[in-house]
Amino acid sequence: MITLSHYLMLSGVLFVLSVAGIFINRKNVILLLMCIELMLLAVNMNFVAFSRFSGDLAGQVFVFFILTVAAAEAAIGLAILVILFRGKGSINVEDLDVMKG
Amino acid sequence: MDMTFTSPSLWPAMPEIFLLASVCAILVIDLFLPPRWRHLTYGLSLMALLVTAAMVLRLGQGLEEPQVTFSGMFVLDRLAVVLKSAALLVTGAVLLYGRDYLRERQLDQGEFYLLTLFSALGMMVLISAGHFITLYLGLELMSLSLYALVAFNREQSASSEAAMKYFVLGAIASGMLLYGMSILYGVTGSLEIETVASRIMEQPVGSLPLLLGMTFVVAAVAFKLGAVPFHNWLPDVYQGANTPVTLLVGSAPKLAAFAMVMRLLAQGMEGLAGDWRDLLMVMAVLSLALGSVVAIAQTNVKRLLAYSTIGHIGFLLLGVLAANPMGYAAALFYVLIYVLMALGAFGVLILLSQRGMEAETLDDLKGLNARSPWLAAVMALFMFSMAGVPPTAGFYAKLLVLDAVVDQGMGTLAIVAVLFAVISAFYYLRVVWQLYFEAPINGSAVVASADLRWLLIANGGLVLLLGILPDQLIRACLSAF
Amino acid sequence: MFQLVLFYAFSAVLIGAALAVITARNPVHSVLFLVLAFFTSAALWLLIEAEFLAIVLVLVYVGAVMVLFLFVVMMIDVDLAALREGFNRSLPLGMGVVLLIVLELSVVLGGSGFSGKGGPVPLPEGGSNIRALGEVMYTQYVYPFEIASVILLLAIVAAIALTLRRRPGRLVQNPGLQAKVRPEDRLRILKMPSETRD
Repeated sequence: MITLSHYLMLSGVLFVLSVAGIFINRKNVILLLMCIELMLLAVNMNFVAFSRFSGDLAGQVFVFFILTVAAAEAAIGLAILVILFRGKGSINVEDLDVMKG
Repeated sequence: MDMTFTSPSLWPAMPEIFLLASVCAILVIDLFLPPRWRHLTYGLSLMALLVTAAMVLRLGQGLEEPQVTFSGMFVLDRLAVVLKSAALLVTGAVLLYGRDYLRERQLDQGEFYLLTLFSALGMMVLISAGHFITLYLGLELMSLSLYALVAFNREQSASSEAAMKYFVLGAIASGMLLYGMSILYGVTGSLEIETVASRIMEQPVGSLPLLLGMTFVVAAVAFKLGAVPFHNWLPDVYQGANTPVTLLVGSAPKLAAFAMVMRLLAQGMEGLAGDWRDLLMVMAVLSLALGSVVAIAQTNVKRLLAYSTIGHIGFLLLGVLAANPMGYAAALFYVLIYVLMALGAFGVLILLSQRGMEAETLDDLKGLNARSPWLAAVMALFMFSMAGVPPTAGFYAKLLVLDAVVDQGMGTLAIVAVLFAVISAFYYLRVVWQLYFEAPINGSAVVASADLRWLLIANGGLVLLLGILPDQLIRACLSAF
Repeated sequence: MFQLVLFYAFSAVLIGAALAVITARNPVHSVLFLVLAFFTSAALWLLIEAEFLAIVLVLVYVGAVMVLFLFVVMMIDVDLAALREGFNRSLPLGMGVVLLIVLELSVVLGGSGFSGKGGPVPLPEGGSNIRALGEVMYTQYVYPFEIASVILLLAIVAAIALTLRRRPGRLVQNPGLQAKVRPEDRLRILKMPSETRD
């Protein structure tokens, strides 16, 4: 039988992988954005599992809103990425060096 | 099927509803305005903020018990009234301060004002959140508008770079917050802050999942405040954004972040106070240290003020970690005064930025007294207040926080805080030195329109007045808890 | 039992896809693996009868957000070699840390202390997941629902304000004016006496 801990472990692994992805892809902004999407997927997996295994709907409602916000977030993040690319011709994090101190 | 749903009382949320309606109206009006009528968008936005603030204050009159509506999603208590009215007035002041700067650089597009109003609405939702969902949505509404505002100056690559850093780190922090909330939801089975708080009390002490969830939430909150070690975004964002946007990012959102601390830690995780207190203590000391030491090496005033912000956040956390009403009230007083001072200091920078020139380095402040004595005097006043010199408001703010900490038997912590306050006084006084005892590099007179001048003088006057007669504000802060 | 086998199969695909997202050498491949990760997650959510969210994940997320990602990745020309420098050096260390954290998390999350026990709570007779969500969405959660709509409005305003370029001197067609053109505007017929060639 599938239990709650199955889902929790799965989402835990996903979450850790997304954090690791953020660390090893520090140089590429677009991969950073994808790792953030992966992180939100792990969070959503947690909420759906808790909600279904405890019979409380609130968790699933929260996931619905997280998906909405993530869509808006992706739109704004990609818009910033596009203007960054227009200005610099690169999305390499090492080229983001105008400010130091 | 159970269909017993009564429609919620809209009255406590009237200010939010009004602000949203105004945003929609301004959005449509702005579409049909010819460019030379753009100041109408500005005027309407300012008006909307002021009317909303008046409505919040009106609702707050005689408010004794917290009013809860929308099935527990929305809470109107005295803390919400104080923070919401302050956040709205501060946002209004930001628009006023930034008006000429934006107009000179042709950045006064309607979208700028709309994004500012959206972020103000987000702050209100966050401050009044009684549920994890509304807290998260308010936070995102505020943050997403701020990311876009930081990127708004498309000609400068520094601003899009700052926006990208802010966005990526902010999104990671939101992910952490959500992960922590999901664990708390798993343990308590609820997303309503009050229910979460009572179910945490029932849990055994030292429950590992609870501690895991709490750690993630604390990390996210620390990021939004800008506490060390989650402070990396602050100096770059302050420097890279346009000065009016820096002014916005550095002022009103701190009030909202403070509300987040109160709703999540003080109310939601009251039962874990012994555990989050230790985390906050480490972050407070690190913030105080970094804020006072690294700032000394800065030559860019915006970066200097960013590090000074980190130091002030350290003081704010000291008040919170006292974990009693007196400490919370001291922290609330501190954040209100801090926002007033930041508003004024960045306001001076905006006034100094002439057409085609940004006042950003310490050199731009040199000999300001010779160019404009009153402006130098006001800037010096803000610097003294940030350093905590009596009789300015900054002195009382620090005193109250230290008092609350000592009251909890944490004398050593208070001594450490005083030590770092003394170190940080060094660079504030260095700024004052530059204002008065250096020869100006740029000798031109400062041009400022009359209303900006009066706003700045009123801002400085308030900092001085609240230092001499702080009783009323302290009482208001105490009554909020 | 069959469900457990399905769970493990989908989990393996999901974790493999997530690994591929963070290690793929080409960002386009990363986006496609992310799409795979979302599809498998939707399947996993279906296994515990969260149908509505599973469908939303595929329709909205894969259908719109991932396509947006793919569009941006294709639009900007990424220098792949430069982005992957030093990547192989940090990979083994990164994976070691991942294993360690997963072990630690398994201690915390595998233990008790969570409110849900046993299997998923069965849905009421004749009720459905979508119906149950729909009933609360517009009643209990009407306030966040409205805020979410404001966030979408904000995203529209922000994305347009940031990326729309109003360059002066740009040549654009005005179809309205084009359609209104009359023959007289384009062609002038001159009356002139015929000339003879000398």
